[in-house]
Amino acid sequence: MRVPRARPVEQLLWWMAAVPATAVIVVGFGVPLLQSLAASFVRDGRITLANYELVYRLYGQDVVYTVLVAAAGLVLTFGAGIPLAGYLRLHAAPTVEFLLKIPLFVPFVVVGHAMRIFLAPRGTLLSVLHALGLISPDASLGFGQTWLGLAIALAWKHLALIVLLLMGAFRAVDESYLEAARGFGAGTIRQIWAVLVPMSASSLALAAVLALTSMLASFSIPLMMSRGSGPQMLMIDLYYRFGQHGDFGVASALGVVSYLLASGAAYYYLRTVSR
Amino acid sequence: MGLAAVLVVLIATTTPGYGQARVTLQVAIAADVNVVEVHRNFLGVAFSKNHPHVTVHAVGTGTGEAASRAIYTKLKAQADAGRRNWDIDVALVSMRYASQMVRENLLYRYVPELQFAPYVVGPDTVRAFGVDVKGYVVPMFKNQIAIAYNPRFVAQPPKTFAELEAWVRANPRRFGYNGIKGGVSGIGFVMAWVYYKTGRYELFTQGPFDKANDRIIRSAIEQLRDFNRNVVITSGNAGTLDALNRAEIWMGAVWVDQLVAWKNEGRMNPEITPVLIAPGLPIYPLYLTVPREAANRDWAVKYIDLVANPQIQAKVIVEQFGWYPGIDPNRVMPLVSPAARALLFKGVTPEDLARYSQQMPIGEYYDAILLAYEEIVR
Repeated sequence: MRVPRARPVEQLLWWMAAVPATAVIVVGFGVPLLQSLAASFVRDGRITLANYELVYRLYGQDVVYTVLVAAAGLVLTFGAGIPLAGYLRLHAAPTVEFLLKIPLFVPFVVVGHAMRIFLAPRGTLLSVLHALGLISPDASLGFGQTWLGLAIALAWKHLALIVLLLMGAFRAVDESYLEAARGFGAGTIRQIWAVLVPMSASSLALAAVLALTSMLASFSIPLMMSRGSGPQMLMIDLYYRFGQHGDFGVASALGVVSYLLASGAAYYYLRTVSR
Repeated sequence: MGLAAVLVVLIATTTPGYGQARVTLQVAIAADVNVVEVHRNFLGVAFSKNHPHVTVHAVGTGTGEAASRAIYTKLKAQADAGRRNWDIDVALVSMRYASQMVRENLLYRYVPELQFAPYVVGPDTVRAFGVDVKGYVVPMFKNQIAIAYNPRFVAQPPKTFAELEAWVRANPRRFGYNGIKGGVSGIGFVMAWVYYKTGRYELFTQGPFDKANDRIIRSAIEQLRDFNRNVVITSGNAGTLDALNRAEIWMGAVWVDQLVAWKNEGRMNPEITPVLIAPGLPIYPLYLTVPREAANRDWAVKYIDLVANPQIQAKVIVEQFGWYPGIDPNRVMPLVSPAARALLFKGVTPEDLARYSQQMPIGEYYDAILLAYEEIVR
């Protein structure tokens, strides 16, 4: 069946309707992006790669660290998110579902602060473990300020969004497949892994890209939790470069690098999933 | 005479400050909320009492150097655009940006017009970051970086950096500071370390800048990297106080004013005491400045005169907030109550301040030291 073409007048009207929104994107996103791209190649008024050289020298390690922390956060998020969403697809548990949505409404800064206190060397978690008699009173938790603490906090914050996305995808899977699987004696775990996950692969990939780019760009959680030394997330470095030093060249170069990392994830998604 | 004209006369004769135009004095504060509150609730109110037609409008621009940068950027933009009547009348900025603004001719030389100009004393009112700032700046208060210790775990606090090093070796991970990214108390500690290891305090604070000195900076920072192996790097000025409170660390580099303020608010273990160690640690003032083309320049000068008034310095700056006076302490301290004086000088005496308060290095060395730290210590 052929869809009739819109009349020229209508087409013009549609174009006009799209102009304001497009202009906002061009002015609010496109132009600054090009400006910072240009600024990243300028240092002391000369066109040079010096900014990138400095990024490599000072922050090369941080680029790797950022990717690894985001990846670890992603693994944790999905490690908890897939079983949770699958279970909620197969069994009704309104309370759990409600609890899961809480992180959606907690601001990033609050999560950062809460996790900092919770995972501190002598923080809440330690007190609880100690009260339960599981560890000695002299012990202290070391991982709160490491990559693991950061990954846990990022995962906790993103879990709600991911579970929401996954539950939508899992609920779109037709019940008859699950019934067939149950007929062959599949349990909950088997149904999740063998039916729900493969049949929602594209939604899973989308959720993964969303979570990964959000974690790569995380700022307030690492700011609240990090120490003043050791490897940092890139956004912290970026903020430090222009906040402390007013160094827009290197800050822009860091921005370009982060942008490339995020685009990499998006590109992969477009290539593999949405064909 | 029409009704309208009668109304105009009535309004004109019944409004307060008749004959004087209403003025809103724009005060931009590149500091924490507590400093903004001082201007809003104490200094601004007092000023408006004396000058009913002037309203003081204080705005905070954030914390850390980024806050001062925000003010600098705004003024620079107005200067570059060739505007008259800039929209900031009084700017409270860090030493670093005040010196930069003097260098770039963005400030007005107002100190000679002050009634209390003779009380504006001290090396930091003459030179800052290697720039001649005399006449452009009045410190609102001074803020000393010190080593705070918990007497329950530290019987004999160190008196020198060498003793601190030995103590840290003997008590690994019991000393904390916040590196260079979590606030200026950590930056100050790093600068003091470089002075101590190189013994070149005059060179770094007076200049001249020579790139060849990178070598001695780097060797000092390499030693700091080894020192850091037994140290806890906290997440910021507050993070150090937090860790002291929790006894996660027993000693740490802190701002004295923050320590006093937290004690006053009951958020801090009252036993934690600051000490100054030889050869010293930096003091970092926040400067009151007047932008070159401030719209209400004359009122700005009057306002700063109020802040520099020894009575106000004693009652508000020292007693209420536990800062060191921004003007000549000999004029201020006699007016301070004994209790407030005891609290202020607990652990750090005026003699200590005179002996061990250091300046920050000149701009180029400051940047070179931070860069070396970022590269070597990480």
